Amino acid sequence: MKQQRKVALPRYGEYNCVLKYIVEQGFEAQCILPPPLSRRTEELGARNSPDLVCTPFKTTLGSMIEALEAGADTIIMVHGACRLNYFGELQEQILRDLGYSFEFINLSLYNTGKIKDILRALKVINPRCNMVKAGRAVYDAVKMVEHLDDTTSMYYQNCGFDPTGTYPKIYRKFISDMYAARSLADIQEGYRNANHAFADVVLEKNPDPIRIGIIGDYYTVMDPFSNLEIEQKLADMGVEVHRLMNITNDMLRNSEKNKQIIIRRFSEYSMGASSTTDIWQAQNFAERGFDGLIQVKSAFCMPETDIMPVLANLSREYSIPVLYLTYDSQTSDVGLMTRLEAFFDMLEMRKKVAP
Amino acid sequence: MSTQNAFLGIDVGSISTKAVIIDEHNTILAQEYIWTEGNPIGAVKKLLGLLEKQLDRDTWQIVGVGATGSARRLVGSIVGATVVKNEITAHAVGTTTFHPDVRTILEIGGQDSKIILVENGIAVDYAMNTLCAAGTGAFLSSQARRLGIDVEEMGQYALQSAHPTMIAARCTVFAESDLVHKIQMGHPREDIIAGVCRAVASNYINNVGKGKKICSPVVFQGGVSKNVGVVRAFEDLLQCPVIVDENGHLMGAMGAAILAKRGLKRTVFDFSVEKMDFVTRERNCGGCSNNCEVICVYRDGSLIDFWGNRCERGAVH
Repeated sequence: MKQQRKVALPRYGEYNCVLKYIVEQGFEAQCILPPPLSRRTEELGARNSPDLVCTPFKTTLGSMIEALEAGADTIIMVHGACRLNYFGELQEQILRDLGYSFEFINLSLYNTGKIKDILRALKVINPRCNMVKAGRAVYDAVKMVEHLDDTTSMYYQNCGFDPTGTYPKIYRKFISDMYAARSLADIQEGYRNANHAFADVVLEKNPDPIRIGIIGDYYTVMDPFSNLEIEQKLADMGVEVHRLMNITNDMLRNSEKNKQIIIRRFSEYSMGASSTTDIWQAQNFAERGFDGLIQVKSAFCMPETDIMPVLANLSREYSIPVLYLTYDSQTSDVGLMTRLEAFFDMLEMRKKVAP
Repeated sequence: MSTQNAFLGIDVGSISTKAVIIDEHNTILAQEYIWTEGNPIGAVKKLLGLLEKQLDRDTWQIVGVGATGSARRLVGSIVGATVVKNEITAHAVGTTTFHPDVRTILEIGGQDSKIILVENGIAVDYAMNTLCAAGTGAFLSSQARRLGIDVEEMGQYALQSAHPTMIAARCTVFAESDLVHKIQMGHPREDIIAGVCRAVASNYINNVGKGKKICSPVVFQGGVSKNVGVVRAFEDLLQCPVIVDENGHLMGAMGAAILAKRGLKRTVFDFSVEKMDFVTRERNCGGCSNNCEVICVYRDGSLIDFWGNRCERGAVH
């Protein structure tokens, strides 16, 4: 029998557990987890990338190299609505030039929006697999994504108000449960356990806490390593942190057309990638009376740069402060802390005098 | 006669170190401004020595210390600060105390610049340069050196110019090449200097001030506010008067002192740190591939504080 493939996706927040599930339960292959992102990942990526490409390109390239070092023989790369569509092709070429030999599954070549084409792409993992089984695993994985996103947003909204310090433990346990899940029942049980454990913690939250909405480009806003753990830092200051940008909201339940109509007052046409979604999210947060918005973006991200004037208009209209943050391969978070602390102080003082 | 309470505020920036001592009514009892010269610990010790001479210690007792500026953490742990606050908040607090009607605070320091919008005495929005230090004091200093004058003289030169040279303002690197080119073309020095001042102001408006509604009264502070050329350039660009407080360079320190006063913590500060020996050491954790740089601060050989570690593995005992 032919040997099992060793499949890897570059690190992307905690979403690697989803691929692990699909690969192992659906395609009966092995999933290689690249090591957690670190400064080394960034250095590897930056050294082998074009200088002015956005940081997610560099980080994912570095993570691919670390996956190959860890023994992966098949790399999967996702696609998106910006330059991300070309990332896979260029990254494959760079890796081949570096001398690695591997199979590359570039999902942007199968980008038709139909599930059967995605399955066709994934079939490379194991051509003899049972497609019914694979399809079922993808269905379970969708549930896993929903539970992961739900638990993550629950966590960041509340962990800043947990006097016992058990929230992080519950969250870590949940994440490791998702990595270990072998069936839909495991996924559901891990989710239920986390929810019950969260419910058992008595939070010390005043009725009107500072609420900050975070928006930004697909990768930087969702990947804690890339955004220097901005959500945790804010939560630790005692902020209710909300982030609508996740795979559930943006891919599974997205309605780009409706969003474009809702935000037409601020922006009539899409500026690509996360732009429409981000403006919609900003408007949604503002209408719900949030205290502040933070835009998290990678340096050289065009769509996120383009929406800044729109966010400025929105900020004026709803009188909601916006903090714009640009991330490159920084090694120190001192500058970030200065800005976050100042933003927090400002929101707190505004709240005190607000009628 | 019993002593009265006083509060010390220290603002340690990349270029200069400032400190004030105030009383309960925000009256300045002592103040000092010196260069940091890449040695924040040495600068603070020197500064404390200078302040001690100005203060009548039979009348006043320092009961609260606030630290701010980019070295606030380090200095805060050395002097045992009761409040350690970021410089944006400190500036907002300091300025709104002395200019309660201010609407816009422009601040340009050695390597950063920020804008703070104020409504009814409360900061409502702010922005700070993120990736790039274009148009800050460091740029002015290096251009002054190139032109062979002291940075303090730049403003006076700029005022003599009737036709400021146009200098590309978008990026410091491009501005510099543009400037060299204009010098070699034979533009007079005062026009070049006025052009540089204008470039700093327009860079600021286009970058940090982008999309912000700048309302009058405008207060300009930070080291660069001492340059009348830049003040004039702002007045031209904004079409409104720009106020420069004579204590503008001390606003961060004032804010820190006021925050120490507002804080609840009270500890008597007795200037003894001047004589103590402080050493910082960097140690690479090595616990994982992040290899965090942990900074340890030792007072007379014993560890008093450390930071820089991302997790417990990097803790130093």
